Amino acid sequence: MLKFLVYDKKRNPYKYFFFKLIILFAFVFVSDFLIGNLLRYYYFKQQRGADYLTTYSIDSTKADLLIFGSSRASHHYQPSVFENRLNLTCYNAGRDGSFLFNHYAILEAVLKRYSPKIIILDFSDGEFLKNEDNYDRISSLLPYYKNHPEMRSIIELKSPYEKFKLLSKIYPYNSSLLIIAGGNAIFSKKKREDINGYIPLTRVWNDSIRNENAPIKYEIDSTKVKIYESFIRDCLNSKVKLYISCSPHFIKYTHRDYSIILAQEIAKKYNIKFFDHLQDSIFINNSELFADPLHLNDKGAQLFSNNIADSILSN
Amino acid sequence: MAFVPVYILILAFTILIDYFAGIYIEKTEGKRRKLYLIFSLVANIGVLAFFKYYNFLDNNLSFLLHSFGLTNPIPYLSILLPIGLSFHTFQAMSYTIEVYRGHQKAERHFGIYSLYVMFYPQLVAGPIERPQNLLHQFREKYNFDYDRIVEGLKLMLWGFVKKLVIADRLAIYVNAVYNNPQQHNGMTFLIATIFFAIQIYCDFSGYSDIAIGAAKVMGFKLMTNFNRPYFAKNISEFWKRWHISLSTWFKDYLYISLGGNRVSVPRWYFNLLLVFIISGLWHGANWTYIIWGALNGFYLVFAIITYKFRKKISTVLGINKLPNISQSLQIITTFILTCFAWIFFRANNVTDAFDIIKKISTFKGPVFIEDPSMIIYPILAIFLLLFVELKQEYYKGDFSFLNNKNWILRNLSYTILIILILLFGVFDGGQFIYFQF
Repeated sequence: MLKFLVYDKKRNPYKYFFFKLIILFAFVFVSDFLIGNLLRYYYFKQQRGADYLTTYSIDSTKADLLIFGSSRASHHYQPSVFENRLNLTCYNAGRDGSFLFNHYAILEAVLKRYSPKIIILDFSDGEFLKNEDNYDRISSLLPYYKNHPEMRSIIELKSPYEKFKLLSKIYPYNSSLLIIAGGNAIFSKKKREDINGYIPLTRVWNDSIRNENAPIKYEIDSTKVKIYESFIRDCLNSKVKLYISCSPHFIKYTHRDYSIILAQEIAKKYNIKFFDHLQDSIFINNSELFADPLHLNDKGAQLFSNNIADSILSN
Repeated sequence: MAFVPVYILILAFTILIDYFAGIYIEKTEGKRRKLYLIFSLVANIGVLAFFKYYNFLDNNLSFLLHSFGLTNPIPYLSILLPIGLSFHTFQAMSYTIEVYRGHQKAERHFGIYSLYVMFYPQLVAGPIERPQNLLHQFREKYNFDYDRIVEGLKLMLWGFVKKLVIADRLAIYVNAVYNNPQQHNGMTFLIATIFFAIQIYCDFSGYSDIAIGAAKVMGFKLMTNFNRPYFAKNISEFWKRWHISLSTWFKDYLYISLGGNRVSVPRWYFNLLLVFIISGLWHGANWTYIIWGALNGFYLVFAIITYKFRKKISTVLGINKLPNISQSLQIITTFILTCFAWIFFRANNVTDAFDIIKKISTFKGPVFIEDPSMIIYPILAIFLLLFVELKQEYYKGDFSFLNNKNWILRNLSYTILIILILLFGVFDGGQFIYFQF
């Protein structure tokens, strides 16, 4: 029946080639559609893990106080402390290995749904440093591209070809198969490691403090600075009280980080409170409060969260 | 390594010199022929030396003078290495040498000669072609050949799988470990070194497959560059299977020019060592590459010296009567030796390399696993490679996937490879390692 479609290889090589190509495309299209949708279904069905927490931040949380930032946000800010001290509901939207782009994209999705009363943005040292790797990390937002048009402009910063790559249904879940499987595994549904998004670190750092002579000035990524300003402006426009904070390191620096100086100046311009605890003496003299030189442990997080709550109450 | 548009002038400069050198070498006779050849070689090696080795030599000179309490008067220059310089320089040199040797007629058509040097699929990372194989192909007419195009596309597809699914996946672990040598233990380095051996193979042979496949689609036949090198039973065989276009380049133009093995035994050993040291230096301006090259040269010399002794031991132990076991042992030993040499190739500096060797020798664990996917994906990728290469090496005529006669199975095989790329490929800025050379 389909014989009229089958071309002779020798007499009609071009047509034969394109016919074969169409067959291959059909195979790929169907497989991509089926596998991509299956992955999508299970991605959003996850009950634990970083993806689940991001999805919850984007689609579900209605907390009065939201915390944004990288791993240093997710391990340093205890929602229970803020709930008790400020009498507000709180959710920690921090995520390991995320940068300003991710924080801003999640903020856009949240503000589309509702306006939290308070937002704390944890600002990391070197945040404005020009680094291609930070753009690669935007890939964790790819699953949200389809249903969240407000996040698209950020996702497209990853590369000019992202729109085309996203024609594939599998691509947003690239490298996520094991994570999706883990997030759906029966054992994982019972065991949640977060408490309202906060992930406590229990280990204690025993090594002595190290001195670091980081560069005084480095190349700044102007896109990141613009995103930072947009983050501030969007909070102000939505009448959200924004606080920016730098959480402590167990490293002694010879001078202040260039990104922090710049971020503080910008915050001042918009009349936003900026709490710089990077070299806070309470923490820097106490290794027991740290899990590693860059992260506080649960005990340190409790003390730090109380300090931030104090600062918010006094402002 | 960088692509700087103005650097195209460097290419134009060497193309012009070699184009005219070729014609004059052919036209003239006697000493002047040699002079034209030397002029062309000096121009090519000079450009390569300036961009690739100037700062390396300057740094070493500074170090040397500093140890005598002197300062280096020669300034450090902030120059970037033009992308693929080592490859197209060697390809250009092979042209003038072949014209000089009378194996190739000088190309009169400037456009065709330029295309020989700048042929896009192999411009940045080879295979380093010979004029006898490539030049005439630019004059031929190509018709649309379905089978040839499909073969080329299949090769490209497998090249992409090797690069994106295997090499770049392994690179995540290798980079995490090798870039932080202080933080990792012996077992972790052992795993990372094996991963690197597979990574560099898939990275470079993946690029070669893509280049050869792309050329094939257009009708051109480029030389084979890799022939499953990790199935080599000794180092000599390894170098006949690894980066074949470079190995044969060094053999044809350096090793044989030095006298090859038709010299006294000590001189033969010297020739082998020298060729491998220069091959190391070709890969990069760093002592790590020089040691890597020297080590490979040493392996070869050692293998020659101990050949009779090893044969005797094999007879005494009766291993030679068990060909399968004997071959497996030879393959494993060769793989271990190449892995050991790769430590120098991958380490950021010589001190790191020795620290890594020291750590590996302790076999202390536990293995660094930041996230299970960091180790599970690479292991699955290695199994995929092993499955494909074992089949190609030992079961060639058996069941075929990409060439299956059943069109459904054939299309399913293509689809699986494309889906593997989408599911497990690393898309975030993974450069081809050999672009830097």
